[in-house]
Amino acid sequence: MRRIWAVSTNTIRQALRMKVAAVFILLLLVLLPLMGFTATGDGTLKGRLQTFVSYGLSLTSLLLSLLTIIVSIYAITSDIEHRQIYTVVTKPIRRYQIILGKVLGVLVLDLVLLALFAGIVYGVTSLIPRFLNASDEERQDATNEFYTARASLVPPVLDVQKEVVALYNKTKDQLDAFYRNMTREEILKQLTNRIRLEKRAAAVGQMLVWEFHNVRPRDPNQSLFIRFKYDVSVTAPDEQVYGEWRIGDLRQPQQDAGAQIPTRIWRETRKDVVRKFHEVEAPASVVAQDGYLAVGFFNPPGNETVVLFPVEDGLEVLYKADTFTANFVRAALLILCRLMFLACLGALAASFLSFPVAILFCLVIFLTGTISGFIVESFGYMSQNVSTIYTYTVQAVIQLLPQFDKYNPTKFLVPARLLSWGLLGEVALMMVCLKAVLLLALALVIFSFRELAKVVV
Amino acid sequence: MDYAIETIGLTKIFSDWWGRARVYAVDDLNLQILPNEVFGLLGPNGSGKTSTIKMLLGLLHPTKGHALVLGGDGTHPKISKRIGFLPEESYLYRFLNARETLDFYGRLFGLDSKTREVRIEALLEMVGLTAVASRPVGTYSKGMARRIGLAQALINDPDLLILDEPTTGLDPIGTRQIKDLIARLAERGKTVLLCSHLLADVEDVCHRIAILYGGKIQAQGCVRDLLQQTNKTQILTDVISDAAVSRIRQILSDEHAECEVTAPMERLETFFIKTVVEAQQQARPTSGAVSTTQIGDFLTAGGRQETVLEKLVSTSVSEKTQAAPAKTEAVRPRATVTPEPNKDLLTKLTQTSVRPPTGRVSPTQAIETPTEAPQRETQKSVLDKLTKNDASNPQSTIRHPQSKDGESGHA
Repeated sequence: MRRIWAVSTNTIRQALRMKVAAVFILLLLVLLPLMGFTATGDGTLKGRLQTFVSYGLSLTSLLLSLLTIIVSIYAITSDIEHRQIYTVVTKPIRRYQIILGKVLGVLVLDLVLLALFAGIVYGVTSLIPRFLNASDEERQDATNEFYTARASLVPPVLDVQKEVVALYNKTKDQLDAFYRNMTREEILKQLTNRIRLEKRAAAVGQMLVWEFHNVRPRDPNQSLFIRFKYDVSVTAPDEQVYGEWRIGDLRQPQQDAGAQIPTRIWRETRKDVVRKFHEVEAPASVVAQDGYLAVGFFNPPGNETVVLFPVEDGLEVLYKADTFTANFVRAALLILCRLMFLACLGALAASFLSFPVAILFCLVIFLTGTISGFIVESFGYMSQNVSTIYTYTVQAVIQLLPQFDKYNPTKFLVPARLLSWGLLGEVALMMVCLKAVLLLALALVIFSFRELAKVVV
Repeated sequence: MDYAIETIGLTKIFSDWWGRARVYAVDDLNLQILPNEVFGLLGPNGSGKTSTIKMLLGLLHPTKGHALVLGGDGTHPKISKRIGFLPEESYLYRFLNARETLDFYGRLFGLDSKTREVRIEALLEMVGLTAVASRPVGTYSKGMARRIGLAQALINDPDLLILDEPTTGLDPIGTRQIKDLIARLAERGKTVLLCSHLLADVEDVCHRIAILYGGKIQAQGCVRDLLQQTNKTQILTDVISDAAVSRIRQILSDEHAECEVTAPMERLETFFIKTVVEAQQQARPTSGAVSTTQIGDFLTAGGRQETVLEKLVSTSVSEKTQAAPAKTEAVRPRATVTPEPNKDLLTKLTQTSVRPPTGRVSPTQAIETPTEAPQRETQKSVLDKLTKNDASNPQSTIRHPQSKDGESGHA
């Protein structure tokens, strides 16, 4: 361990003294505070904060990622290129200890720099309101929708397999005539979408109820929010529809005036523009003791249309589950997971490639990682048409790619969504414990068995 | 018999990416190096010296055969703990200073901080870099980098020292020092593998040598055995009269032998060292390495320390230890050595070269060699004896041409 640490400190010295790290550090030290003043967003306090956090953390993450890639590769390849490795491997140190030392050095550097820059971003974020003349309303908005960590609950996607098959069997001839050129699978898919949407549609005078379990607001005196979006079959001239919302423990006998009601039910009638997001605010105390919460929507007779909630993003329950600070710390840790992955990737690339090639290799992986959602989707679409062998080989490789875009910290901080420890743990497990360790192990094996001296005759 | 280094059929074939153009860098090499031996590996460029060393240390994998270092695998920490290695160039971390460099290597050996501190100071003192120890080694000249390279090879007090071209880039004093060091380490029971094509260095210190060509051993054996000319005899005496010379010639012609009579020349190395020492004694500033002949205490520790030190003092360069350490901060143009002795030497040299070696002995030759103080003293005492004993009966030493015990270096 002492020997590994000796290599680590040497790597850190190298990064700092060879001015590789210095450039990045200087850039961030200048840019981050500057952005605190220049980022305005949509002009509101909330918008300003969201813009700053988004750009600040993205920039920190990007520059530290590049730094990690460069330093981890340079630390190893320059030793081989400039042959300092001759005097290092001939000392009583195992080759794997050298690589571990280098990676550890990079990670220590990352940890310190990340703490520094995340600290700056956090500091500026909490200072911005003090230096701005914002109305109380804006401040309230920022508190409710930015300086918080809201958990999000969405209704589960219903399993309608049986209904679909039953419907298909019943009206087979009719369907086949209608969808003439489609296979059975494609028709079933169409039916599934239709039935799912039907379950989220309320005809006039009809009521829809979603039930949620395990709802745990941090403070019952605070609010919870139902974020929703309407879709309609017939659009009214003013593009608005009425809605009667009932939020609370709907298991209780309603309309029974005499019965004791342990939990209040929040009722609200409102008129909203269709196809836009709105939020119903209700006190968090409507959640039952056992964490049960029901959300009811009644389509009142005043409307002359069916009201639908789109399957993907029609309805969502939001409530404060943690503080902004805790969420921010977890977001920073999410970046650390990414950096750990990249450090191991760099070590692997450097174990058998020369500096420029290794950099290129890592940048390609890094960039595909940041658009992995797009890649997975496009290959998913392709796999419908191409052979299964192709699907298995390519998909296996794609699964190995990191998913930086899916676990982008700003995706959580900007809309103030809760980044739970559970999710963080999942990312750490997949990205660090599994993929990064696999890469590192591969790097150790390659480095241990390769010839380090150049072929000179 | 346990060898310090043993290679069995060691072969390294280099091929291109397609597996073509096979070159035998090392070809079925069987080396046996005994413990406590200074072994010289000689050969022209590209003869496989460095490749052999790289295979011993695991930097290259042998194509065939295997190598045993200190009875085991040279890459195993237990073995490499006892090895000091100086590669063909000092590959150092440019961003570290000398002290940090040595500290880093000391930590790789797992030495505790106290030991490291003591050894680093001793080694810096020994290689004469104490004054520039806080400068990044990237700014060092080649010779200074070489000195640090040597220091890092010694920080673990190795049992086996592998030196690849140790004297390249070093000034004659550094070269002399390395040679002294090797001799001293051998006295302490260490094994040294010296790889060089500077034949003079090898000749001075090595017990046994092997000459490689094309990856194969072409000749191997004791330096003495290989170089001794058994069909010749060299007689070395103090200055004798012309009459004595002609008498010797007479004796030799009776033996049907011919002889050549000249005054022995001082070696340029000795002369150079003496000149620099004189300059140092006048405390002339230098921005380079300070020449010392000290050997790190921990390297000479042991029962024989006293004798080693005595030996050290007796060497021609040892006077420098008394010299005040030169200041390195002020970089003034270095004063050249006083021209007088040089001129003297030149005139005397021309005198000798003009004088044809026809056998006529000139008495002036006796004072030609500008010898250094200790030697002059010994010569004086010999002269005293000579004058007492009459020139007709000079004290003479008979030695073989290869004799190599003279620090004064009579060729």
